[in-house]
Amino acid sequence: MADLVVVLARCTDLRVEVDPLTGAISRDPRAAAFSASDAAAVEHGLRLGSAWGARTLVLTAGGPECDARLREVLSLGAEVRRVPVRGSYVEELATDERALAKALVAAIGGRPDLVVCADRSSDRGTGALPAFVAHELGVVQAPGLVSLELVGDDLMGERRLDYGRRERMRIPLPAVCSVEGAGVRLRRASLPASLAAASAVVPVAEVPLPGPAVRVLGARASRPRPRHLPAPTGSSRERLLALTGALLSHEPPTVVGPVDAPEAADALLDFLARNGYLSEARTGWALS
Amino acid sequence: MTDVIVVGAGPAGAAAALMAARDGLEVVLLERGPFPGSKNAYGGVVYGRVLDDVLPRWWEEVPVQRWVTRRSTMVLTDTQALTVDFRTTAWGEAPYNGCTTFRADFDGWLAGKAVEAGAHLVVNTVATGLIVEGNRVVGVRTDRQDGDLRAPLVIAADGVNSFLAKEAGLLPRTQAKHLTLGVKEVLSLPREVIDERFGVRGDEGVDVELLGCTRGIPGGGFVYTNRDSLSVGVVVSLEHLAASKVRPEELIADLKAHPAIAPWVEGAELKEYTAHLIPEGGYDHLTPLSTAGMLVTGDAAGLCLAAGLWLEGVNFAIGSGLAAGRTARRIIETGDAKPYRAALKDSFVLKDHKRLRGAPRLVLSERVQQRYPGLVADLVEGLFTVGNPTAKPGALRLLRGAAKNNGVKLRHLVADGLAGGRVFK
Ligand SMILES: Cc1cc2nc3c(=O)[nH]c(=O)nc-3n(C[C@H](O)[C@H](O)[C@H](O)COP(=O)(O)OP(=O)(O)OC[C@H]3O[C@@H](n4cnc5c(N)ncnc54)[C@H](O)[C@@H]3O)c2cc1C
Repeated sequence: MADLVVVLARCTDLRVEVDPLTGAISRDPRAAAFSASDAAAVEHGLRLGSAWGARTLVLTAGGPECDARLREVLSLGAEVRRVPVRGSYVEELATDERALAKALVAAIGGRPDLVVCADRSSDRGTGALPAFVAHELGVVQAPGLVSLELVGDDLMGERRLDYGRRERMRIPLPAVCSVEGAGVRLRRASLPASLAAASAVVPVAEVPLPGPAVRVLGARASRPRPRHLPAPTGSSRERLLALTGALLSHEPPTVVGPVDAPEAADALLDFLARNGYLSEARTGWALS
Repeated sequence: MTDVIVVGAGPAGAAAALMAARDGLEVVLLERGPFPGSKNAYGGVVYGRVLDDVLPRWWEEVPVQRWVTRRSTMVLTDTQALTVDFRTTAWGEAPYNGCTTFRADFDGWLAGKAVEAGAHLVVNTVATGLIVEGNRVVGVRTDRQDGDLRAPLVIAADGVNSFLAKEAGLLPRTQAKHLTLGVKEVLSLPREVIDERFGVRGDEGVDVELLGCTRGIPGGGFVYTNRDSLSVGVVVSLEHLAASKVRPEELIADLKAHPAIAPWVEGAELKEYTAHLIPEGGYDHLTPLSTAGMLVTGDAAGLCLAAGLWLEGVNFAIGSGLAAGRTARRIIETGDAKPYRAALKDSFVLKDHKRLRGAPRLVLSERVQQRYPGLVADLVEGLFTVGNPTAKPGALRLLRGAAKNNGVKLRHLVADGLAGGRVFK
């Protein structure tokens, strides 16, 4: 059982434009939205909140452009709160992740039983926030989940492992879980709920704002220096021949088959060994 | 309890919601896009004076790209271009004339005014149908759960090809004949380059209307300057476009390659491509403006004014929306939509449409579209070609020659001149 489920969701323009010439970044405040994983986090939070009969609070660190999305969340039955972020986009990206986690935890104003957030944000993208939040709260974390559900009284999560395998785990509360944008889709509110929330005021948390972790002196397009190449030597004919390899002798293409799969594999390995791509030992290992 | 449901937060819907909310009515403004203007496509010039009474000093806050201080009409053939170019500083100062603006900015701004006045804007919500009881519209259905919404008055501001007007039986299911297709590219260029190429400074802008650039398909084209981009597009008859088997983007490609246009767009980067229908039937093909319980506004009513020299839809949409919002209370009280129709009749909206009712036929006629551009261009080329030692030919001889070369009889010229005089008098 839990009393408070908190969702930390980032709301930002998902298609920020960077001018390739000047490096100027433009963000459209009207396009502020949740990424697929943030939307999944909200949906998980709502599902678990209602399964436990707990309050679900959705917290966003951002500017007033996030309010329209937060009102939508409000119409889904969650509480919402915004931690105001000021400064330019670049400064925001340079924010100290740990300080941000501190500010978000302070804005919760209580001890949550479960915090759900996206595995990584679409633009900041370090994926470190869940760990910092877990550290601040002193609770366990289960990052990168593709599913998060209640099975009986247990909170069960599943995440991807290498080679297509999955890991299922029982998550003890309190915990911080980060989820991938997979498996669930954020629900839509009913019309009466949307109408009720349409003009609601989104509460803004008064918490100390984190400053930038690094001082940004400027942002501009990446312009690697041109590589100096030596001037070509030889006549143009020689250069052409070298480039095209026209007069060099070539091994003609080998046609293998039709053969069955093991024979084809042997032929390929022979070819690789013959041409020095596989050592004897490796071939032996590969063939054994 | 909702008094008025406005469907569509385009210029017509936002204006209607603004006035109805100011009148103290409970207004719900439904918009299918994630924010007003997000789904909307148009050319680029808004004439804002329609807002003078409603939002005094609107020009101080409208999200303008550039103020149009230079307006050109250009007649093109494949190799020639004749431009009538007008500029005035008067349009560059209050109360201004037209401005280029992006719909995502403009519609959001106007809808914001409606919300400030008390309207409830609900986005990401599609009105999927009407709720009709007896013969009266009493609400709309939406694509949300528990999505039926009832109100004594529905204002359809859902744009061209209005599904609400169709469902109410006011519009035929298909009606390609009086529709044109507008396609547009937004091409980005540095601000200084635009200033230099178009001979403007600061926030001055240019509106160029084009004729004769659509491979003979009835229609026209435009080039508008935004702050650091150009809007370049064509508007063509839907029926003729379909019959011609030409793809609309080919027409824009032609236009951009034309010797008179190419230097303007050289080096520009494509930012956006949009296409949208325009109702161009004019006064004689307007949608009925109301049915019991519902008013029809803006493009949904076919109120876009497309009359050759003018392509004005946004101001007409706003004009009709304002009229609907202003009369909503009386209509709810009496159940009769007469005040809306009367308000439109008294305003520029129907007056201009009525006066220019013959324009669509004349402007989209075969001669105006396919023969006159060549005729005037040949005539002017003849006038300004110095062919010494041959002496200058007389203007009448040149006119006769140009008319003949372009398959125009002088009596056609006279007849069309008279018809033009009658239409634009
Ligand atoms: C290429 C092109 C160039 C143009 N150039 C100009 C120009 O330069 N100047 C000018 O003044 N006019 C121009 N116009 C015309 C102008 O765009 C229209 O006349 C004007 O936008 C009409 O406004 P409206 O509010 O009636 O409809 P729209 O602007 O089409 O708005 C309708 C709104 O309703 C919403 N909607 C539709 N259906 C539903 C539904 N079922 N439920 C909820 N919401 C719905 C839409 O998302 C939209 O926001 C141009 C048009 C085109 C296509």
